Amino acid sequence: MSSAVLEQFRQIGRDLFVAGVISSHGGNLSVRMGDRIVITRRGSMLARLEERDVIETGLDENDANVMLASTEINVHRAIYQGTSAQAIVHAHPPYAIARSLMCDEIVPIDSEGSYLLHKVPVVHTELTAGSKEVAELLPRWLKEYDIVMLRGHGPFAIGHLLEEAYQLTSVLEMSCRIMTIADGFSEQIKEYRKGSERYETW
Amino acid sequence: MRRAAADPARAPVYTRGVTPPASGLRPLRGLRLDLTSRTSSVEQLPVEVARLWLGGRGLGAYIALRERLWEVDPLAPQNVLVVAPGPLTGTGAPASARYSMTSRSPLTGTVFDGNSGGNFGNALRRLGWDYLVIAGALDEPGYVTIGLDGAGRVVDDSAGEAATAGPAEPLAGPGGVGVRSAAGLWGLDVPATLGRLGELHARSESAVIGPAGERGVLFASIVNNRGRSIGRGGLGAVLGSKRVKALVLDGHGTRKPPVADPERLEFIVYEATKLLKANPITSTALPEFGTSVLVNVLDQAGALPTRNHRESRFEGAAAISGEALKRDHLKSRTACRGCMIGCARRTEAGGESGEGPEYETIWAFGAQCGVSDLTAVVRANYACNRAGMDTITMGSTIACAMELTELGLLPDGPRFGDSRAIIALAEATAAGEGLGAELGLGSARFAALRGRPDLSMSVKRMEMPAYDPRGMKAQGLSYATSNRGGCHLRANMLGPEILGVPKMVDRFATLGKAGLLINLQNLNAVLDSLSVCKFTAFAMKEDYYARQLTAVWGEQVEPQELLLLGERIWNAERLFNLAAGFTRADDTLPPRLLAEPVAAGPSAGQVVDLPPMLDEYYISRGWDDDGVPTAAKLERLGLAGTAAAAGVAPGAPRRSETAASPAGAAAATPEAAAK
Repeated sequence: MSSAVLEQFRQIGRDLFVAGVISSHGGNLSVRMGDRIVITRRGSMLARLEERDVIETGLDENDANVMLASTEINVHRAIYQGTSAQAIVHAHPPYAIARSLMCDEIVPIDSEGSYLLHKVPVVHTELTAGSKEVAELLPRWLKEYDIVMLRGHGPFAIGHLLEEAYQLTSVLEMSCRIMTIADGFSEQIKEYRKGSERYETW
Repeated sequence: MRRAAADPARAPVYTRGVTPPASGLRPLRGLRLDLTSRTSSVEQLPVEVARLWLGGRGLGAYIALRERLWEVDPLAPQNVLVVAPGPLTGTGAPASARYSMTSRSPLTGTVFDGNSGGNFGNALRRLGWDYLVIAGALDEPGYVTIGLDGAGRVVDDSAGEAATAGPAEPLAGPGGVGVRSAAGLWGLDVPATLGRLGELHARSESAVIGPAGERGVLFASIVNNRGRSIGRGGLGAVLGSKRVKALVLDGHGTRKPPVADPERLEFIVYEATKLLKANPITSTALPEFGTSVLVNVLDQAGALPTRNHRESRFEGAAAISGEALKRDHLKSRTACRGCMIGCARRTEAGGESGEGPEYETIWAFGAQCGVSDLTAVVRANYACNRAGMDTITMGSTIACAMELTELGLLPDGPRFGDSRAIIALAEATAAGEGLGAELGLGSARFAALRGRPDLSMSVKRMEMPAYDPRGMKAQGLSYATSNRGGCHLRANMLGPEILGVPKMVDRFATLGKAGLLINLQNLNAVLDSLSVCKFTAFAMKEDYYARQLTAVWGEQVEPQELLLLGERIWNAERLFNLAAGFTRADDTLPPRLLAEPVAAGPSAGQVVDLPPMLDEYYISRGWDDDGVPTAAKLERLGLAGTAAAAGVAPGAPRRSETAASPAGAAAATPEAAAK
């Protein structure tokens, strides 16, 4: 693994923690390198990633390193196998998780979220962490949407680069914070976006 | 209206409380012209072909494989030219007034598609044709008119007869096709030909060749709408070899391209337009300066190839920049039909006026030749436009001649910085006179003739454009792996390596960028097949194109599915080239870029370490060490039969592939259709 790849993991991992969208040991990151996958270590702290915390293993086949890989390794593999993603960010953003408990899709009301996301589907499974069910479900949705919310758990975002997937995660959380703040005013929102009533069909 | 989100069984978008529209996905209707036998016939390709190959470039690759064009001499009558707009052409999708032509290139020997804007593609669709196949050759120079479908009527017969040597001779068969003598047109330059045809055939749309195409210059273009060109690979010479001066479409066509859900398309187009307006590249830089806005950007990055790639910064960059072009030469801005970006421009210089030049042209005649006289650069561009020649290859071939002269290998040849020479040699090449006769072969053949093939700055015999790979390493990998030779339009790493689109990456890094490049190659294969302008991708991701196609077809198209279509097209083109004899050894760069470090500037000391990049690329593509798609990859793309028909034997499936196999893929392969 090149030092450039490790540095990307370090930067994005640190940013996720600083942004408050993961707990001390939460979340996971990966990139695809051809028929290999580079993924964060199970139990690693994303804000403090060292070389030993970033694990390389097979995309389709296990090797000894799989013992160290994130518990979500099978979900990441399934996403790469079912999409053209080159990078995956999975985080636990609190405002987005809270909102996912109440709706089947998240439709941002702010400008940035509207431009970049339009809407984010919320899906659920009985077992939410690293399960076979999640591995089967998420790739189907991620063929159409670059970020999908797993109810009560957190979003999986894909991109060509880690930074892209991180951006989507960050925008989703910001949009959910704004929606939460706006909810507190208990006022009717003055619509400023032409065609926004159709975002649910995005 | 809300999707039952937790249900993993995916429902098509049109079952969510929305009335399903009539399908816009139909069999492809093509018109085949056999110029030798003077007959026409209607072809119909099944819906599955439209679904898997889209149109434009993808359809061109499909037909090139079906016709086994790797076996033919590109300039022989057996070669065919495919003309194909895409499913978004003429639908109102942003920057979609485009079409492709595909053939075997006389310059590179690869499968080759060129893509152009203007109105020609729209006109073809409005006549009811999804594509044309032009085969055979005429006995005498002529031009082909295609009138209203089925009625056999050709517009403005009398004008055509009065102004040319004889009456239209209808081709036996459908399509309202006529061949007319080009006695009054052969020898005319491009503007004169387009002007004359415009007079002869009211409301027509023409694609024409100039003197370069007539003479077989290996990088001759086909031009429509004044300055919109099918450039680079010499398809103008292919048309010239068929003795066809022009293709003229009746512009009265009334068949609107099918759109299953116009209301939904309008919504997506509105959302897409918001992004195009918000992005400074598409809303400000390109409209204000055109593509030449890049001159100073690349120079400051130390990635502006200079004097035949001997250096990577040009001391005269400011004098030939987009800012200087706007200040001193801009006459007006223009755009392809329905395009809000409007990157094209009309200029004037030295008492002449015309279209362009684009950034690549400014570089080719400017920095690459060491010329900082922008007036001369613009006039050299005009000379190429008149002759119907590719400006990148012309300029870079002249630069090669200049270096040969500097080295004492070309007596009395041009020298770097000679602004008169770039105009004179472009004109001589078009005329086939003096040194121009050799330059018309392109730099690879020319340099080989002069004993220094290493001085050709080309890949697979096509000249690289205006980005020095020593300052943009993945751009070097892009050139090396391009299916049509040294080209920035297969996948321009300018985005991630210089402009930060989608995000900025380390431009000097060697490894870790193959996946990004592959995605871009696949996406561009899709854009060329839809057909839409690549500039929209500065602002939009693949999901916007998928949503537009969903509205046009009335069937859900997922972004990932679209990229898979692009991957299939890319691999199909690769199979063609392998069948034509290309190998890993051809996926390389000129020795200079691999071994001569940049002497000074931001890229000082850099060379391209290509082998590890190529290894990473092949692994990521699912190809073996020789660059042949593995059996597993071919199977999953539905191309195993195509590979077998082309005689390409994949290596053992040593690596697992991950792309999903689309249903029905095998049924829509070229060899299946041939059966």
